[in-house]
Amino acid sequence: MMRNFKHRVFQLATAVCAAVACGILAMIALAIVRRGWPAVSWQFYTEQIRLVGAAGGIFYNLIGTFILIATALIVSAPLAVGIALVHGVYLRGSRHQEKVTFLLYLLNGIPSILFGLFGLIVFVKFFGLGKSWLTGGILLGMLVLPTVTVALCERMTTLPAAYLEAAAGLGLRQSQIVWSVVLPQSLSGLITGSLLGLARAAGETAPIMFTATIFAGATFPHGIKESPVLSLPYHIFILAQDSFDPSVGAKLWGSALTLLALVLFLSLLALPWRLRIHEEARHD
Amino acid sequence: MASTPIAVQQPWSQGRTLRSSFTRWMSYAFSTLAIAFVLALLSLYVWQGFAVWRHEGLGFLFENNWFYRQQHFGALSMVYGTIIVSGFALLLAAPIGIGAGIFSSEFLPLRLRLAVKIIIELLAGIPSVVYGLLGILFLRDWVYGALSPWEPLSGDSLLTAGILLAVMILPTVMTLADDALRGVSSAQRLAARGLGLTQTESIISVCLPQAWRGIVAAILLALGRALGEAIAVFLVVGRQDNQWPANVFSLRPLIESGQTITSKLASSETNIAYGDPLHWAAMISLGLVLLALTAVVTVIANRLVQRASRHDA
Repeated sequence: MMRNFKHRVFQLATAVCAAVACGILAMIALAIVRRGWPAVSWQFYTEQIRLVGAAGGIFYNLIGTFILIATALIVSAPLAVGIALVHGVYLRGSRHQEKVTFLLYLLNGIPSILFGLFGLIVFVKFFGLGKSWLTGGILLGMLVLPTVTVALCERMTTLPAAYLEAAAGLGLRQSQIVWSVVLPQSLSGLITGSLLGLARAAGETAPIMFTATIFAGATFPHGIKESPVLSLPYHIFILAQDSFDPSVGAKLWGSALTLLALVLFLSLLALPWRLRIHEEARHD
Repeated sequence: MASTPIAVQQPWSQGRTLRSSFTRWMSYAFSTLAIAFVLALLSLYVWQGFAVWRHEGLGFLFENNWFYRQQHFGALSMVYGTIIVSGFALLLAAPIGIGAGIFSSEFLPLRLRLAVKIIIELLAGIPSVVYGLLGILFLRDWVYGALSPWEPLSGDSLLTAGILLAVMILPTVMTLADDALRGVSSAQRLAARGLGLTQTESIISVCLPQAWRGIVAAILLALGRALGEAIAVFLVVGRQDNQWPANVFSLRPLIESGQTITSKLASSETNIAYGDPLHWAAMISLGLVLLALTAVVTVIANRLVQRASRHDA
């Protein structure tokens, strides 16, 4: 009787924890949608900022964010493929394999603000690029590299050995096996990882605030040197610091809703592939 | 290549593979590039910050006087702020997150569990600047109102930052704790139930002891995120330099404005500092301290995860 009672209490306690966690997060999502929705309109996405964020729209902020995350994708995808191949093919079964995983963990653990300062020293000052979209793209690419690579590695390790043996049996060279079997078969891992990486890169402020983005006065980049872009997260970051003007407030929530929608959309796109990995990983 | 003999053991790498191919060469080149990036980042924080260690010695870590105009750089209050804020966030988020993880992994049916997990993982991706915005517009006022008996000066405090961080890391703790518990095989659960244990008893005496590595790793990974979070903390922490409690155990400083390493680094002082070598070295060394804190946490978490996966195999 007592034991059963204890079980009920424990179950209830954990249920309360889960309810608190889900409740807080649901409230957050609701608050943003409810306040941001009124600001959203066609003009909001096609006009540029006016009156320090109090009027106009966020056209160039969206463009800037897209430029940054597209660059991040271009930087991170080839690196991720290279590292995943070293991990999954060239070092397969070797004790050095764990070192690759460790490197990814280490890179993933570096706080994003430290990417920003690193970029400031190396790209902005030492290479003399000034604030440039390219710097931001490279930094974001390195920031999301672990996310992309781990998703790709997961996919590669679940490749059936029979595929590889069949390819080897046909007399293919290792590099031919890589190009005709390993890479096409693990493409879904690269797509998943890239989408998750893009989602993360789109929301980051710290790496780009000193290196790539400004609040107002930029349109399309005209080159590489001294060519900053506007961006959504930095826009929100600056407006949030003086959000007392109600007209700024509406635009601010609209921007936050847009950023949130962009990030969640990218992660949702990755969902079908992730679910399949989830299901495949469970044998019980 | 040193690893060639290993490649030979694979059935599908026989034949002409020993000749190093372009693909292989490129893969190693890209990996080297990533390693070079990490090494460059680490060494830069040591090299560029060197001047301040020569100037201040260990006083940089243990003195509480950050006055850059007078060339005094004692970062104690920021180290204190970082540790207090992250520790407080962990104190709030760990029990709730682990409880929620236990609930979703042990008590929910599979489909519902997947649905909850998807939502939680989506929410883990909310950008930190959005959390910061919510902190500024809701949490700050709420904390100010709730603490009014103690007369805080404003709603910007270490406490506010800690609560905000707790909310931010909650999904991470929950989903990773859930993963760790799901890693315990269901045969073990069934055996425990077969011995007459209630579900709760089987969780406490079978699942949790087996999953502890994964759960500790979950907490550490969340701690790593909390330590390194800059933007959200920056917006609500108050950014008051040199705040130091009269008594280390007093709770008063929690409800006062403070400064963390990350909020300092994200401030405009970074732009000012670049012109002055010593000031710049001080800022970079703050980064080095942060890097050391997160690296320790990450390395321990990594060890735990790798051991846990070896146990599975």
